[in-house]
Amino acid sequence: MIRYFNKFINYLGLALAYMRFNLRAQLEYRQAFISQVVAMFVNDAFWVVFWCLFFTKFPVVRGWTSKDVITLWAINAAGYGIAFSFFRNVNNIPYLIARGQLDSWMLYPRALLPHLLVGTMSATAIGDAIFGYAVYGFFIRPDIPHMLLFVLLSFGVALVFVSFSILVGSLSFYLGNVEALGDQMRGALVAFSTYPASIFDGAIKLILFSFLPAGFVGYLPAQALRELSFIPVLEVFAGGFVMSCVATFVFYYGLSRYESGSLMEMRG
Amino acid sequence: MNAIELHKLRKTYTVKQGSGFGRKTAEVVAVDDISFEIPEGQSVAFIGPNGAGKSTTIKMLTGILHPTSGEASVLGLVPWQDRSKLAYQIGAVFGQRSQLWYHLPPSDTFELLARVYNIGKNDYRKRRDMLIERFGLAEFLNTAVRKLSLGQRMRAEIAASLLHNPKVLFLDEPTIGLDVVACQELRDLVSEWNRQEGLTVLLTSHDAGDIEAVAKRVLVINYGRVVLDDRVVTVRRRYMGSKILGVKFHEIPREIRIPGVTVLKASSYAMKLEVNTEVASIDRVIHKVIQAGPVADITIEDPPLEEIIAHIYSRVNEPDYEEEVIGLS
Repeated sequence: MIRYFNKFINYLGLALAYMRFNLRAQLEYRQAFISQVVAMFVNDAFWVVFWCLFFTKFPVVRGWTSKDVITLWAINAAGYGIAFSFFRNVNNIPYLIARGQLDSWMLYPRALLPHLLVGTMSATAIGDAIFGYAVYGFFIRPDIPHMLLFVLLSFGVALVFVSFSILVGSLSFYLGNVEALGDQMRGALVAFSTYPASIFDGAIKLILFSFLPAGFVGYLPAQALRELSFIPVLEVFAGGFVMSCVATFVFYYGLSRYESGSLMEMRG
Repeated sequence: MNAIELHKLRKTYTVKQGSGFGRKTAEVVAVDDISFEIPEGQSVAFIGPNGAGKSTTIKMLTGILHPTSGEASVLGLVPWQDRSKLAYQIGAVFGQRSQLWYHLPPSDTFELLARVYNIGKNDYRKRRDMLIERFGLAEFLNTAVRKLSLGQRMRAEIAASLLHNPKVLFLDEPTIGLDVVACQELRDLVSEWNRQEGLTVLLTSHDAGDIEAVAKRVLVINYGRVVLDDRVVTVRRRYMGSKILGVKFHEIPREIRIPGVTVLKASSYAMKLEVNTEVASIDRVIHKVIQAGPVADITIEDPPLEEIIAHIYSRVNEPDYEEEVIGLS
C-alpha cells in the first residue's frame, strides 16, 4: 500500500514538473497564450448568454431553469478544462498512434499512458476551467457545500472526459487513423452534455449513459448540485472509473499492434 | 557477457496494396529471423540500405515494437516485456526525433529528464555538470532549442540520452543533416564515451565516417537479414580490391605502364595511382615506380569506406552473394 502511495506521489511530482515546463514553453509566446485563454473564455460566455436569452422566452423546459443550464455549462466547462489543460495529450493519442510517434514516450522508464497524458498542456482549456469556476461562482452564488461539491464534481467530469478520449483515441491501434472520429465523438459528448438531459428519453438516454457518456458529465453532476446529493456524485465517479478501466485495457491491448513510423518530430 | 542478444528475431507487417475498394493485404517481412550478439562495451555499426530493417530491429531492442517471433534480450531483459525497467539502462537517439523541448533551453529538458528517470538531486547535478563540460554545452545551455544549430542540438540530444548513465546507447542515424565539423565532434564524443565509460554502442548510419570513427565491428543487413558481420578493419581489407598509391619524384619520371594500375592524377613530379591488387601486387608496382625515377615520397592509402559500403550494397543483390558473406562471419 505504502509502495503504491509513494508511486502516486512520485507521479504527482512528475505531473507538476511537466505542468511547470509546459507553462514555461507556452509562456515563450506570452501574448498568444493569454489571447487563447481569453478567447476560450469569451467563446464559452457567448453560449451562456444564448441560453440566458432562451430562458427569458421559455423560463422552464421540462423542469430545467436557466440556473440549471448555467450549472450544466459551468460543470462541463470546468471538467473539460481540467481534463484537457492537464492531460492535453489525450487528444493527440490517435495522431501519435497513426503517425508512429509514441516512440519517444516509450523510451522512458514510466508507465506509458499516465506519462503520455501529463506530457502536454493546453492553454485554451485553462480558459475553459477558469470560465467554469467563475460562472458558477458569479451567476449561481453557491454556498460553501455547493461550491465544494462543484469542485469535487469537476474532477469526476474530467475523469469521464479523459477516459472517453483515451478509449476513442485507442481505436487508432485497431482502425488506423481515427483523428476525425475522435474529434467528432468528443464534440458529440460536449454537445449532448450541455443540453438539459430531461429532453432525452428512452434509447437516447441509454446511449447517453453508455457509449456516449454525456449523462455522467452533464445530467448527474447537475442533479447532484441541484439536490446537494452524494449519490449522483458517486455515480459520476463510478462511471468514470469503469470507463477508465475499459479505456486503459483497450489502449494497452492495442499497444502490441503499434507499428511506429519514421516522421520527423520535436517536443514541447 | 553479452549486452545484446538476438535469436531468430522476426517482424512482419501487414500492408494494404492498391487503392479504393479493390485493396489487398500483403505481408511484408521487415526483419527476417535475424540473430547476433554484442558483448558489453563493444561499438557496432549496424548498416544497410533504406528499408533494410535497421530501425525496426532497434525499435524491437528498445521495446517500442513487439516482434512477430523470435527472442531478444538487452542487458538480460526482454525489451518488449520489461520496457520500463530496461529504459533506465539504455539511451536512444533517433536522428529524426528529438527529446529536447523545442521552445525551452536544453537545461530545462535535462531537469525534466532527471524527474522522469528519478535521478537524485546531487547525482543529477554531478552528471549534468560533467556532461556540460564534456559535450561543451555551456555556451548554449540556456538558449531555446529552436535557436540552436543542428550540430548543437545533436550534442545536447546525445548528452540528454546519457544523463541517466545508460549502459547501452542506440544511435539511429545521429549525424543525419550535420555538417562535417559537427559530425566529427559527435563521432569523437560517442567514441570517447565508448572507450572511457565502457558504453555499448549500436549505431545505424549511412555515413561511412560514422562507422569508421565509432565502430569496431560492422553488421550489414539487407532485406531483413544479416549479410555481413565482421570487424571494420577486416571489411575494409577484404572488400578493398584496390590501393591508392601517391608518389612524388625528385625528377620527371618515365612513363609507367603496368597492367592493373590506373593513373588517377598526374603532374610533372607527382602522380596518384589506383592499383588493382588482384591484378598487380603492391610490391611489384612500388618496384616499377622506383625504377621510373628517383622517389621523394610515397604513400599507400585504402580507398574510402564509402566505396566499400557501396560495393557491398551493390553485391548483396547478386544471387550468390548471401552464401558467400555469411560464411565470413
